[in-house]
Amino acid sequence: MQLRLASFGLRGFIGESFTPKVMMDFASAYATFTDGGTIFIARDTRDSSPMMATAVTTGLLAAGCNVVDFGICPTPILQHRIAASALPIAGAVSISGGHTGMGWNAISLIGPDGAFLPPSSGGNVLDFYHGGDFLRATWESIGSLQTSAEYARSLSSSDNEQPEPSLSTPYFDALENLVDTEAIRKQDFTVVIDPVGGSGCGFIAEFAERLGFRLIPVNAEPSGYLPREPEPRPRSALPIASMIQHVGGDVGFVLSSDMGRLSLVSETGEPFSEECTLPILVDHFTTAQKGVVVTNTCTTRTIDDIAAARNCRVVKTPVGQASIVAALCDEDGLIGGEGNGSACIPTFSRGFDGFAMMAIVLEAMALNATDGLDALVHRLPLYHISKRRVYGAEGGTYQQLERLSESLYADPEGGEISHIDGIRVDWEDGWIHIRMSKTEQMIRVISEAREMETARTRRDKIIQLLNRLR
Amino acid sequence: MPREPLKVGISGVRGVVGRSMTPQIAAGWAEAFGNFVGKGPVLVGRDTRPTGEMVELAVIAGLQSVGCTPVLAGIVPTPTLLLQTATQDVMGGICITASHNPAEWNALKFIGRDGMFLDLMHSEELFDMFRQQNFRYVAEADLPIVRKLEDPLEVHWEKIRAYVDIDLIRAQGFKVAVDCCNGVGALSAVPFLRDELGCEVFPIHDTPNGRFERGAEPTPDHLTALCETTKDNGCQIGFAQDPDGDRLAIVSEQGEAIGEDYTLVFAAQQVLERHKQGPIVVNLSCGKLFEHVAKQHDVPVYRTKIGEIHVSTRMLREGSVIGGEPNGGVIIPEIHPCRDSYGGMAIILERLAHQQKTITELRDELPTYVISKKKMEIRSGEAPRLLRALRRRYEDKEINLLDGVHIDFGDHWVHVRASNTEPVMRVVAEAPSLAQADGLTEELIAFLSAPA
Repeated sequence: MQLRLASFGLRGFIGESFTPKVMMDFASAYATFTDGGTIFIARDTRDSSPMMATAVTTGLLAAGCNVVDFGICPTPILQHRIAASALPIAGAVSISGGHTGMGWNAISLIGPDGAFLPPSSGGNVLDFYHGGDFLRATWESIGSLQTSAEYARSLSSSDNEQPEPSLSTPYFDALENLVDTEAIRKQDFTVVIDPVGGSGCGFIAEFAERLGFRLIPVNAEPSGYLPREPEPRPRSALPIASMIQHVGGDVGFVLSSDMGRLSLVSETGEPFSEECTLPILVDHFTTAQKGVVVTNTCTTRTIDDIAAARNCRVVKTPVGQASIVAALCDEDGLIGGEGNGSACIPTFSRGFDGFAMMAIVLEAMALNATDGLDALVHRLPLYHISKRRVYGAEGGTYQQLERLSESLYADPEGGEISHIDGIRVDWEDGWIHIRMSKTEQMIRVISEAREMETARTRRDKIIQLLNRLR
Repeated sequence: MPREPLKVGISGVRGVVGRSMTPQIAAGWAEAFGNFVGKGPVLVGRDTRPTGEMVELAVIAGLQSVGCTPVLAGIVPTPTLLLQTATQDVMGGICITASHNPAEWNALKFIGRDGMFLDLMHSEELFDMFRQQNFRYVAEADLPIVRKLEDPLEVHWEKIRAYVDIDLIRAQGFKVAVDCCNGVGALSAVPFLRDELGCEVFPIHDTPNGRFERGAEPTPDHLTALCETTKDNGCQIGFAQDPDGDRLAIVSEQGEAIGEDYTLVFAAQQVLERHKQGPIVVNLSCGKLFEHVAKQHDVPVYRTKIGEIHVSTRMLREGSVIGGEPNGGVIIPEIHPCRDSYGGMAIILERLAHQQKTITELRDELPTYVISKKKMEIRSGEAPRLLRALRRRYEDKEINLLDGVHIDFGDHWVHVRASNTEPVMRVVAEAPSLAQADGLTEELIAFLSAPA
């Protein structure tokens, strides 16, 4: 089965079990949860996204929700827009393949605060989905469908004092206030951006103009065909890495198709691990401010080291944007994110935001102008990290993990075992984390240590164990 | 709350929105239809019902998921969509309209690539595919992109222009009232009558919002407002459409709703007198006037079961030039073999122009026949016994068993059949006077009500 139901949303493979009816049921369940109201919807450029947006829209309309269609719009801009809404809305839906490969797509549910639905609310939606008893409007109260422009006009023509802002203007206004724009502008940076033909394509030119850098776009034509692997990581950085020195770029940004994840390429053409993105941001953020840093249980220990040096507390959560953002709100945190190249700045918005991340990296570069990105990254207390996927038998992966846990308790090899999300073993010089993927049918194994050799040895040992325990 | 079934039959899939008609159901039917016709473009059109957009979106997603390109005609009359399905190079069409059903209903009607509603055999195959729920979906890279059909009405108007004497009609400068029933006509009837036929138009119920300001069927009891508008503005004629523009009723210059039956009678007279000789095809419940008209022109009359597709199919087989149903459904196959209120308006205005007479005069030229329609509630499953009793009773008469029991007595006839849509027997009789016709239906109901 190629369908993954999780509290934040629904991910599936098009052409198989991810059918219009399933999408409509999920939308009906969400509308039952919000009890109608106004719902924003946005999508990315994948070939299946228009059909999915149509299926979700009709499910919402049938429940009596008024739907406002933002068309192609990055998830973080939609999330920010919800928070800036002049009138209260009931929620939003983002349709995006994000970091997953062609054929995959997902429906993500967003609450009225702009954050992904927290796990408990997501559980409520799933209960409605499984129960199948959906809110249905009668013919007279069926919902209306408007484009975002029509919605803005309808609000400004009413007695409302403040006209509803356009989509990108208030977003980039706020972004200019988040960072030291003047400092960035002064540097006259040349920046290479690769939005993988996704929803960011239509917005990077304005981003460049606002922050005053020269933009070299790569893979920047909106396209349902993915020109490279959409997950930001060293091997998807090849297009930028091979050209950045020739165009005199100061930094290269590799993004996922929903602009939620980011990895970096140095001015020398070195593609950094996506694990470096959050440390750069945390390092820069905690120089000037003190506060709580939130990350998940399988993100690099570099975060802990930086935070310790700056007297900041680290809070660990299970994997996923919903958990990170919920903890940021609970703890009134400063910054949070994950090792997959994502970060949220809660004072700016309540989502993982590629534009905000890029802006902060540029600010860090501007304020440390003499060094360049390469030096900035290499002075971080970096570890070696190695990730592997283990494809388990359908329905048998949890038992596999359970047996692994038993066998690790029998012989922890001097490590300390914990269970926030899956299984984690910590040693003095590193750690290993083993958990079920939330988005695909597999087990993720992440091993980190000061020495690459140690990380690999521990990783291989676990994979062998897992295979033996099938 | 009573249970609301989804009514699946020869006239499509009908349900009450929010109860039996949901996006999930509509998408499932679109997927079945897409698999049935095969990958390729499929026309999609709808009427003005407030639920139309929601159902349309569900149909779009369903069609795309099985590799059919939705080609959107938007809000169009049902006859226009049928004609366009035949004209465009498409695999078929889906018409989103519950026709004359009340506003809480909506429905999908399936059109074959010949531009006709699916007949019984094809429908059964589609229903089988839906029931098996084993749809073949396409991969992401093969998902088609939605297209729009530009100016769908023009082809329809062109067909009508080619058939009637447009210049003659335009030269009359008719004053015409039209009641669009807040349906598709609200967007197309006024421009058609004004720009194509050169009429001065007095429209009512012409906000295209699907919130019907009168009963959806163009029966006389729903047309009081049109009668007033026609009379008060000195119009030669008033036209009443149903919400999806396939049925047409006429109001006379004196503001009298003369009954839906006359629409087809006038159209038949005009076609046979001025256009082409050929057989008439009507359903079993059409009145004796058709025999009268046919005799005048020495053409045969063929009768079919109740239902538009039965009439259309028979017309094509017999080479018929005019036909339809007594509910105001005029079919002129040279325009398109489907019920069409626009073709109907044009042919009747042409008749007025040729005859230079009023509607009242045209009606009074015809012999008087009065139809009495009654219905009798029955328990489900009781119909066969009642129909059998009728056959025994009229053993010595010539009985037509095509659709229920139909007996012709020369100057009058009776027709009893089980309804396709309600748990009732429909009892119809026609005779030279109302008293006689009512007497016939009352006597039949008394007979059928007697205990077994």
